[in-house]
Amino acid sequence: MNRLHELPTLRIDTQKTQSLKYRGKSLQGFAGDTVATALYANGTRVFARSLKYHRPRGLYSLDGESSNTCMEVDGVPNVRTENTLLKDGMVVKAQNVKGSADFDLMAFTDKLDWMMPAGFYYKTMHKPAAIWPVAMKAIRKAAGVGTISANYEVKGRYDEIFLTADVCIIGGGAAGMMAALAAAESGVRVVLLESRPYLGGCWDYRVNEYNQNKPLFARSRELAGQVESIPNIRVFKHTSMVGAYNNNLITAFQVGKNDDAFTERYIEIRSKSVVVATGCIERPLIFENNERPGVMQVACAHRLARSYGLLPGKEAVFSVGHDLGLEAALDLFDLGLKIPYVADIREDGHDDSLLEALAQRKVPVLKGWVAAKAHGCNKVTRVTLTTLDGTIRRQIPCDLLVASAGHTPVNGPLILAQAKMAYDNHTGYFLPQDLPENMFSGGRMTGCNHPQSVEASGRLAGIKALAAIDMINDAAVSVAKKAAALLPGADRGCKLVTAPVKGRKSFICFDEDTTIKNIKQAIDMGFDVPELIKRFTSAGTGPGQGGIPGHNLPLYVSKYTASVSKPMPTTVRPPLVPTLLATYAGAHHHMFKRTPLHAFQKREGGIFRNIGVWQRARYFSQDFQCKNEILNVRNNVGMLDSSTLGKFRIFGPDALKALQRLYVSDMSNIKKGRIKYSAMCNDDGCVIDDGIVVKQSDNDYYLTTSSGRAGNTVEWFRFHTRFDGWKYHMVNLTDSMGVINVSGPNARKVLKKIVNADVSNKAFSFAGYREFTIKNTIPVRAMRLGFVGELSFELHVPSSYMQSVWDMLMSAGAEFNIQNFGLEAQNVLRMEKGHIILGQESEQRTNLLDLGLGFLWDRKKAKAKTVGAVALRQAENDPGRFKLVGIRMEDDTRAPRDGALIVDTRVRGYVATARKSFTTGEAVGMALVESQLSKPGSRLDIYEDECNENRLYARVVSMPFYDPEGKRMKM
Amino acid sequence: MTGIQRYSPVTFDSSVKKSETRDNWKVVLTYHEEGPGPWLVDLSHKTRWDLQDSQIDDLSPNGITVPSDPGTCAFKKELLVNRMNRTQAAIWHLGDKEMILPDIQGCTDVTEATVFLTLFGSDAFLVAEKLTALDLRDPARTTPFLLQGPLCHVPCQIVVLEKNTDMSGGFLLTCSRGYADSMVHAVLDSGQEFGLRPAGETQFGNWVQTVQDQTM
Repeated sequence: MNRLHELPTLRIDTQKTQSLKYRGKSLQGFAGDTVATALYANGTRVFARSLKYHRPRGLYSLDGESSNTCMEVDGVPNVRTENTLLKDGMVVKAQNVKGSADFDLMAFTDKLDWMMPAGFYYKTMHKPAAIWPVAMKAIRKAAGVGTISANYEVKGRYDEIFLTADVCIIGGGAAGMMAALAAAESGVRVVLLESRPYLGGCWDYRVNEYNQNKPLFARSRELAGQVESIPNIRVFKHTSMVGAYNNNLITAFQVGKNDDAFTERYIEIRSKSVVVATGCIERPLIFENNERPGVMQVACAHRLARSYGLLPGKEAVFSVGHDLGLEAALDLFDLGLKIPYVADIREDGHDDSLLEALAQRKVPVLKGWVAAKAHGCNKVTRVTLTTLDGTIRRQIPCDLLVASAGHTPVNGPLILAQAKMAYDNHTGYFLPQDLPENMFSGGRMTGCNHPQSVEASGRLAGIKALAAIDMINDAAVSVAKKAAALLPGADRGCKLVTAPVKGRKSFICFDEDTTIKNIKQAIDMGFDVPELIKRFTSAGTGPGQGGIPGHNLPLYVSKYTASVSKPMPTTVRPPLVPTLLATYAGAHHHMFKRTPLHAFQKREGGIFRNIGVWQRARYFSQDFQCKNEILNVRNNVGMLDSSTLGKFRIFGPDALKALQRLYVSDMSNIKKGRIKYSAMCNDDGCVIDDGIVVKQSDNDYYLTTSSGRAGNTVEWFRFHTRFDGWKYHMVNLTDSMGVINVSGPNARKVLKKIVNADVSNKAFSFAGYREFTIKNTIPVRAMRLGFVGELSFELHVPSSYMQSVWDMLMSAGAEFNIQNFGLEAQNVLRMEKGHIILGQESEQRTNLLDLGLGFLWDRKKAKAKTVGAVALRQAENDPGRFKLVGIRMEDDTRAPRDGALIVDTRVRGYVATARKSFTTGEAVGMALVESQLSKPGSRLDIYEDECNENRLYARVVSMPFYDPEGKRMKM
Repeated sequence: MTGIQRYSPVTFDSSVKKSETRDNWKVVLTYHEEGPGPWLVDLSHKTRWDLQDSQIDDLSPNGITVPSDPGTCAFKKELLVNRMNRTQAAIWHLGDKEMILPDIQGCTDVTEATVFLTLFGSDAFLVAEKLTALDLRDPARTTPFLLQGPLCHVPCQIVVLEKNTDMSGGFLLTCSRGYADSMVHAVLDSGQEFGLRPAGETQFGNWVQTVQDQTM
């Protein structure tokens, strides 16, 4: 198709060709084309087939109001090709077709509409129950939109930005640009969002006069130039607003250009005030076959010519209800389109100059006439026009029907922001009654159409937005209001929804193949509220997000039910414009904490797992039972990186009081050079943390917590002392200090080689605490602990020195075959010793007594109430609680999985941890069971997922399983 | 036996042009091909202290009065004092000389607790807005000022030292040391389109000097 190359309004660059592939052919378009306009230029008229009836669908709008032009592009289904910019090399396919879009073998379903009345799915898809699993699959295969492979990986780069603005303007037409300019005058930060790839809105392609000197398109480009040159206005083009939330949080997404670093990016704007100037879209005219290829909206036909240089047809009939329709007819006639008739719904109220101009060109305008039917199969061949009362009909041959009942404001952003909308009889629009705080509307969406009125309305909205944030005084608002009031106000709108037709093939919603007949059926069944009819008939629930039926549905329902109350619009929800989940995901950086030894451990073959916020080395070989790691600790010496432990300094005159409040033990008797192990409970007596406390000086303590609780510890202390006014402070040193556990019978020999301090059992006994330096440089806090049941030194080292200390220990331990061990080995070692890990041996309901840690609880603490003590006193005499017990499997070759249930006729407990113990040769573990089952010797039935009733059996045994006297850790 | 060295939690892929050893830290002064900016500089070796006291207004660590309002900062003698809340301030030493912890009980050395980075130069705030919803360019605030909140979903302390209308300027940030790898990866990835590159301490020193000259 030849393009109109010389138009000053063009948005394509005819010097830059771009190719696409469709139906095996390579087609040419131009830079600036959308996929749909490029296909249209190459003769494509049927773009897709409809959801249910496989009706041919063509280019109807250019802003994605319906799914008519949804196609598969580069493997991505449901791409709205009418507003997707063409990129060189794109591969395009029709979707939901058997055969091709032009010849679809499933097209016969169009004759079966009588079988699928409103609510078809609800009424039929449940009986007889037996056939529906089969029938449903067949229906799903026959109907629907695009399909995507489960393995499809989204290509491209997805990004996100977070903006703060004083004024955010949604809509980059004339009103939005005027609002931006007005707001920017005061120097505030302005963000302007425009869904098209360029500013200008509906003025961008119109050649009507703005004033005597310039046409509208020239004025819009002049405004765009001004807006884009002002530093405090940030313009985001090709950016669709998708959500509005509390406190004027606006969300949007931007489609990247070829040279942008992103394919799409998600945008969040926190704005003090918001102006919505999204203009209007057209309200579809409903008649028989109103979605036939060759039927299109006024702006679609006009923009095809003016923006893309494509005359949309050869001979066009217009059926319109507004002056923009007449304006388009006039302009397209001048560009070479034959127009045998213009049918105008209105009897009066026209712009006389437009009527006069059409008359000069001998284009007849039929007032009070409307299109009743589009004829033709895959394209329009003729049109039936009728008077509004349906008494006179006339058939006109043509290849294009330009149809539009009226306009409807794009008020989705206002509805998302919870504005109350009401029907306005003068304009026929749904207009906001109460705008949300600091939100304003302006431009054509308020009903005005006169160019100066549109600009003044936009400027007023911008000034109101400034006044709302105290950046301008009320006098300025009054001036702007007066200026706007002097200009022409809102135009009277056309109210007609449907031509006088029965409605069997008159589609109110293209996406869901919902006809006027379906709406009547729903109403006849008792549905009288548009929201319910929408759900029952699916009208407006498709990818177009109600763009086609959004306005017509409530108008039609109101008319058909002869409702005395005003029509109410249906609700819209975010995302207002559909986009990819990948866009919402954004860059999605994985934010994990790593210990100072992470890189080293990785080089050493560490296999990492995400544990809470940390990445930790769980294994050091592919033997996930960790036999060698475990036995090396038992027999030799191993090193574990425990840097994730929570570490805190607590100090101040009331630090001890806080410790007494939070810990169950008496913390006043911590001896110098000794550690104190204790636990913290919540108010229910349930254990939430355990660790050690060291007294470093008067009113100054160092404490550790479990890794998972470290992030909450300071808040936990503050919360439980919030009413006391105690003077104490906490510093989180978790990341400040790394921790190395040197464990095993040779641990002392290794440590002795790198420190000058006396680390003999006499000088540094079990539960001791020492501070010393390595090479007179590295300060170390050392503790004698026995979590894994062996002689162990826990070295707390400044993080930056961790690698150096680890290297020194490795060198020192080489003669003893020192090895890394990971979390899983530690897990088994401590289990053999009967030591618990909170979260593994406990859950939310597990209290201190259940775990056998009652010995930690000091009941005589007088000065401070202990968190959880009241509940523990009550729980002491409760026989119905779970108890932590040791278990040994009857089959020593098979340990149950962690979390397996202990059952008889009901659940009686669960396995906390169980492993094959390489140390003892037995399959042992710990389980939380009802107290009646906790006696030694009790036989336990263990049920695992998918065990097919083949249960495992264990008996309760005493703990620990290894070194019950604790000699090894005290050696 | 292995020698003693302190390791920063940050490693850049760039090749080092010039470095020096300071208090066992290997401090990179310049990298090859640092480019025209924006730049990301690792300052993790610089001394940071945490100061807590119920009478914090009466304290003047190293002779600098703690600013009275949370969110405000004092920058003097290469010390940046950031008032965090009613009882707490963060003190960052931006110079290259060793600092002795003041003899105040409420003062804790937290140099090792956090990763310390700075992002500055042209388009610095275009990079930042890809990472955080915090308003680093709040026109109501005078530099230097402190923000406490998420950057890349990680709790951070951020001090804006310079902000200009053309999105240039810069800020310092600290977050838990363990996040260093993830944070650096996220920041560099976000800054790729703007030419963000790692730079050495010299580049940072020049910028800080410029900022100080402008504010004096």
